[in-house]
Amino acid sequence: MALQKKICMLGAFAVGKTSLVRRYVDSIFSDRYLTTVGVKIDKRMVTVSAAEVSLILWDIAGEDEISQVRTSYVRGAAGYLLVADGTRPATIDVAQSIQQRVEGEVGKLPFVVLLNKHDLQSVWSVSAGDIAALQRAGWTVQMTSARSGEGVEEAFQTLAERVIRGQ
Amino acid sequence: MSTPGPAVEWLDSEPDQAALDRNRLAGLLFELARAINRDFAAKVPSLLPADPRLAELRTILMGREQALLARLARRLDDPEQLAAAISQILPSAIVQAAARDERLGQVLAPTVERAAESSIRRDPRALVNILSPVMAPAIRRSIGEAIESMLQSLNEALKASFSWRGLRWRLEAWRTGTPFATVVLKHTLVYRVEHVFLIHKESGLLIEHVAADPAASRDPQLVSGMLSAIQDFVRDSFADSAAGEVDAMRLGELLIWRSDGPYAFLAAVIRGKPPESLREVFESTLAQIHVERRQVLHRFDGDTTAFPGLHDQLAECLLQQARPRDRRTSPILWGLFFALLALIAWGAYAWYERQQEDTQWAAYLRRLQAEPGIVVTGAERRDGRLYVTGLRDPLAVRPEALLDGFALAPAKVIGSWSPYQALDPAFVFKRVQASLEPLQTVELRLEADAVRAYGSAPRHWIEKARAVSRLLPAGALALDLSGVQDVDMTEVERLRASIEAQLIRFDTDAPRPAPGQEAIIDSVAADLRALAELARSLGLSMRTTIIGHADATGKDAPNLALSLGRAEVVRSLLRTRGIDPDVLSVRGAGTLEPTEEGAIRDPSRDRRVSFTIRISE
Repeated sequence: MALQKKICMLGAFAVGKTSLVRRYVDSIFSDRYLTTVGVKIDKRMVTVSAAEVSLILWDIAGEDEISQVRTSYVRGAAGYLLVADGTRPATIDVAQSIQQRVEGEVGKLPFVVLLNKHDLQSVWSVSAGDIAALQRAGWTVQMTSARSGEGVEEAFQTLAERVIRGQ
Repeated sequence: MSTPGPAVEWLDSEPDQAALDRNRLAGLLFELARAINRDFAAKVPSLLPADPRLAELRTILMGREQALLARLARRLDDPEQLAAAISQILPSAIVQAAARDERLGQVLAPTVERAAESSIRRDPRALVNILSPVMAPAIRRSIGEAIESMLQSLNEALKASFSWRGLRWRLEAWRTGTPFATVVLKHTLVYRVEHVFLIHKESGLLIEHVAADPAASRDPQLVSGMLSAIQDFVRDSFADSAAGEVDAMRLGELLIWRSDGPYAFLAAVIRGKPPESLREVFESTLAQIHVERRQVLHRFDGDTTAFPGLHDQLAECLLQQARPRDRRTSPILWGLFFALLALIAWGAYAWYERQQEDTQWAAYLRRLQAEPGIVVTGAERRDGRLYVTGLRDPLAVRPEALLDGFALAPAKVIGSWSPYQALDPAFVFKRVQASLEPLQTVELRLEADAVRAYGSAPRHWIEKARAVSRLLPAGALALDLSGVQDVDMTEVERLRASIEAQLIRFDTDAPRPAPGQEAIIDSVAADLRALAELARSLGLSMRTTIIGHADATGKDAPNLALSLGRAEVVRSLLRTRGIDPDVLSVRGAGTLEPTEEGAIRDPSRDRRVSFTIRISE
């Protein structure tokens, strides 16, 4: 047990946060915690600059019209992954609103935006222009697919490096 | 600021001492000239308002004090110097003021309160962080005292309880010399601290984890995150943020206790029932960690290598209290063990006894059944006693007497017998034996078809035997008395024969008995008396006939009269010997009944009186 970092998974409802985490780690807790407590915690070891880091992933229940993300869960986080669904552009707006709220609550933190479900090319609705606009706003955007595993490792690795380097 | 007086002003010129004061010098020289030249002095008045010599004198005499006063004045006028001076004496001044009376405190209190209030309002966390290591022990101590007093009252309450367990514990307290409440705690509070997590409050990251059994723990980092998340969840869902933290969670046998510090909280997973004092251990450990590692905790960013020695510190919280398995088995337990052993032994013995008794009982009942005159109709065991009911001939053996051969306590055996008459031959024989007066001369024999009596017996015995015989039930054995001779009738016959054998002799023609016949008459009289007596006792009627005889010599008529006369004489002779004449009848046979028929007759033998006796029932 050396270095640990708390990382939050945030995003709209049903964008695939839990699937991404499941793709990435082996969990000891049941997904049931998400619907009961609103959060599920997993862990993944990554190596950054030859140092082992434990990423403690707080998979926080998705946001929808009736329930907002519990920002109290974000307290003490070193960074977060903002997940949106590439087939539902509205989830990007939700991501933006969550990002603003988190920044207002706990300050500026490193984060990476994941545009998930990239395997569903036929219904993919986010254009390259939209992505470029996000990047211009200073966002790091990564296409991912929880189904194929595309971009998942990279996204976590990127965030881990930014968190460590940001120290 | 006060204006200094002239003297002070004069003194004040001291800093310009280096420069020559011309006015003063001129004044002095002028005064000197006046002093030398008296005329000049008379013409020109002194320029000085006063005599300078006085001033000089004053300088010489008072110069030191004046300098001191001047310094003092300077200090008073300069706020910096004044502050420095007061700062030196303030502590002791406050001490003295406080010692004198209450005024200082009263004066200062409002100001201090306002200051503290504004400070707390500005940053309450600072105060909390400062106070928590200081106050936590105090609070814990006060809680400890409260618990202790509660235990005292518990102790008192338990003193009044007389449950078996309470008595057992009281005995233990007495035996080991420990307070009763401690014994109660020992038995009721059994626990084991299985995990202790030290968790960073803000991020929920695990700072350190210790486990009683490290192999059994799941990933503590995840558990620590989840513990924080659940805390947040409960707080967000059910309480406002001011309500504090969830300090205990229970899951079946598992209990999670949380103790809070300013930067980290300690979560202890406990199995069983921990005493409240355990919380004090956690809180004091947490407070100590905060005191020693305050800065590191404050700056914690996930790097747990910054906490050397923390593992051992936390490991001290891994306490446990096992249910006391006293190696020395308590005397009570031994007592119980022996009691149990005794009970088993007693049970086995009782079972064996019972078996033995059953065997004996069955044998006894068989014996009773076999006994003539006893019929067993029922037998049962009830309330530890043995009951037997049946019929018993009064002449049968007493059932109790049969117990002799059996290992049965006579007091346990209760018989209930109805009387009856048994008809089996042996028993009839016995009853006959019992019914009859035993006689040496009579022998009773049990034969195939009857009980037979042999020998001789008095008449009354025979009569009684007949009565017994008649009482015997029909169809059963009869009593045959034909073999018994009636000794009374024999005597009657003997006496009759004896009397009838007697002949009283007469001389020829003599109506009176020949001389020497007296003895015969006496004998006859005695026999008659005895016979009459016997006949009366046997209920027989008796008739005695005295028959007179004559020999064949002479004529028949006189002979008849003579014979009758002779009979009458004998009757009267007998009467004189006490025989009732009414029972005696007389008859004259004359010569018709000679003693012998045939050729030669002896006449002397015919002159006689003979007797016949008739006896009837």
